Parts: sequence; C-alpha cells; structure tokens
Amino acid sequence: MAYGLSVFKTNGSLGFSTADITWQTLDQFTVAANASVSNTYNEASGMTIIAQRQLVNVPPNSQEDYVPNVTISGTTVNVAPQSGLSSSQCIVHVLAQDA
Amino acid sequence: MAYGFEAKNDNGKVIINDTIENLHFIGKATRGSNNAAYGDFPGYGGSNDALDGRVIHYYTITCSGTPVAFIKPADYSRWHGIIKQSVSGTTWSFDVMVSGTSTSNPPDIYCFVNADDIPVPSGETYGMQVFKSNGSTKTFDSRRQPLAITGGGTASAPPSDPTNSSGLPGVSSGHSWNYSSNDHDFRSSNRYTAHSDSAANTSNAMFACSSLAQAVYKRQQHGYKESCSGCFPFIGCINCQDHHSTAAWWVMYRQAFRLRSGNFDSGWTGYAAGYSFSSSFESGGWFGGGGGSYSTGSMPYTAKTINLQSNAFIIADSSRYN
Repeated sequence: MAYGLSVFKTNGSLGFSTADITWQTLDQFTVAANASVSNTYNEASGMTIIAQRQLVNVPPNSQEDYVPNVTISGTTVNVAPQSGLSSSQCIVHVLAQDA
Repeated sequence: MAYGFEAKNDNGKVIINDTIENLHFIGKATRGSNNAAYGDFPGYGGSNDALDGRVIHYYTITCSGTPVAFIKPADYSRWHGIIKQSVSGTTWSFDVMVSGTSTSNPPDIYCFVNADDIPVPSGETYGMQVFKSNGSTKTFDSRRQPLAITGGGTASAPPSDPTNSSGLPGVSSGHSWNYSSNDHDFRSSNRYTAHSDSAANTSNAMFACSSLAQAVYKRQQHGYKESCSGCFPFIGCINCQDHHSTAAWWVMYRQAFRLRSGNFDSGWTGYAAGYSFSSSFESGGWFGGGGGSYSTGSMPYTAKTINLQSNAFIIADSSRYN
C-alpha cells in the first residue's frame, strides 16, 4: 500500500491494516434476571452502536426464558424486561463502528 | 482530537483510537463432550416420526473479559447456534447446538476479547499498543490479532411457525380409541428468514449471533369409543364403558443460523422432543369389565413462540486467525 497503517503478526504476515473494517467494543455486562440497565457511551458519539444479547440459562430447565429488550437511542443503551414479562439473565455486548 | 492516536481505514472510518477498545483474537475454545439426540420422536415409530435432530457440543475457554464468540461451521449445510454462555471464575462455557445427529464435523469457536483483557503473549516485547488517556487501559495491542469483519447486519427473527407443515399443529378429537398417527411434519429445515450478505460463504466465513427465539409446538389427538356388554330392544344398552385416549407429539425449538453463499439465514432447530400417550377406560359396572388406564411420556412445556426479536450479526473471515 502507498499509505496508511499495517500491523504485522510476529511471523511477518499482515494482521490488520487500514484496509480493514471492524467493530470496536464499548462494553460487556451481564444483566440480572428482571433487571434494567441504562448506559451512556459519550465516546461513541457519531458512531453506529449495536448490542448483542446472549442468554445465560438454557431450557429445558426453564422454557420461558425471555430475553430482555434492548433499545439504542443516540449513545444510550437501555436494557429492560419485555413488557409484562420476567426476563432471564443475559450477557450484553455493546459494539461501535464509525458511521 | 488534540492528542492521542487514531487510525482510519480506506473509507475514512475509525478502526483504532485511544477511547474505544478493539476486539482481539485470543484463541479457539476447547471442545469437550457432546450430546446427540432427537433424530426422531422418542418412544414413537409411526408416520412423521422424523425430526431434524441436534447435537450439543460443549466448549470452554479461559480468559479475562467477556468473549465474543464466532461460530466457524465445519459443515455449512447444518444450522448452528450458541444457546448458552456462562462463566465460572474466568472459565467460559459455550453450549453450541448443531442440527443433525452426526457428531462429526463439529464447528470451531473463535473467541475475541477487548484489548485490555487479552493475555499478553510471552516473549513478544514488540509491536504496537494504544492506551486510553488514563495511561493504563489498552485499546489496541498488535500482539493479538484484532478483529476485522467482512459483513453483518441485523438478523430478523425466524418465522414464528417453526414447522415444515403448513399451519401450526393443533388438537383434534373424534379419532378412534387408541389412535396415534402423527400427521404433522415437525422438521424445520424450510423455515428460515434469509439475509443477503456478500460476505457469507461456505469456505471460511464465521459468524457471531446468539440464539434468542424459542418455540414449543404440540400435535394432540383425542380418541374415544363406547363399548357395552349388550343392547336390547326397549331397554337400551347396558354395562357401557367409555374409552378415552390422548396421543401427543411435541418439539421444542431454538433459533439457529446457517451461512450460505451470499446469505445469512435465521431459522430453527429442534432442541428437545417427546411423545406421550395415555389411554383409559371406565368400569363397566356390575356385569361389565373393570376400569383401567395406561400412560407414557409427558409434555413439560407450554406451546408458544417467544423472543421473536432481531439480533445483530457479524461475519468475519476465519482464515485470518488460523
């Protein structure tokens, strides 16, 4: 490449460069059952934010394993139980990408 | 910015900076045991007995931070989903569901953690690190391969009806006593939502997207007959007995995903299944036969579909991390 940044592995092969695209990680947290969380990430202003959810429990011990809702407004990520339902413990990964 | 470090890619988008951590590859999770089941309804051998089957592969990896796990299928024709992620101390466990009953070709699980939690490789004292303004929190470390993605987006929920047969299974009455013949195809190979993505391929693509949606459906058939020891003019039937039977087939599904060339599919795979049957007949009275009952199996769930929600998915090239 004529310009930019290349990062090489120890074996000399290219590992990462400014030709790549990535998601950076803003946060990871575990939301307790039936809990609500609201976090604001000012450092991600102007970026696209996504949140991945992963259930901790698994059926068949509890079939009604409701995942909490996630809403993203600007740089604020809100996690809350689905309306009228008990939510299960859930891992949330919050990722950001330059928009 | 007035100071610090920022790298933008060829499209002018920030990919490294001193405020947000990059994800770095820390290794593949170690595969342990597996559990294969439900290629058909247990305890039943009649029509529509076949199910998709599933194998649960169990993986672990030890690390600080919470890993983002990517599934690299070994058999891209099968459906995959992480149905559980838990931690004990710093050891993370993943339950990975794969459609089918063959335990061969298990997927690889590639794990990434934020830069500040990566294990520092011994003996590697060179490279590039980027820290936050506090001088201690790493946002980038070239000694562990950073995550580069090739595709992704928002994966819609799969169709609410997970069964191949049209219409949801239901309850029917009017069958003969002890009738038990399943008329519903509970397999779900045709039930998915496709997402076009040029990064999806069947050679080296891997994806991160967890299984959220769950469903349970049941087909139930009620049978009945009446038998009497005798029927006479002007008197009617005497010593009559009612006979009842109930046959039920149920499947519990979990959301699963499939990579095809140019598509990322959000669908279903059967996680558990069962067949139950009960039969009873009342006493015929003084001169009739005695009563009795028989039952086997049970349905531990309530029929419904839950968590029909979209979820972010990411596709990356696994060959960069081998």
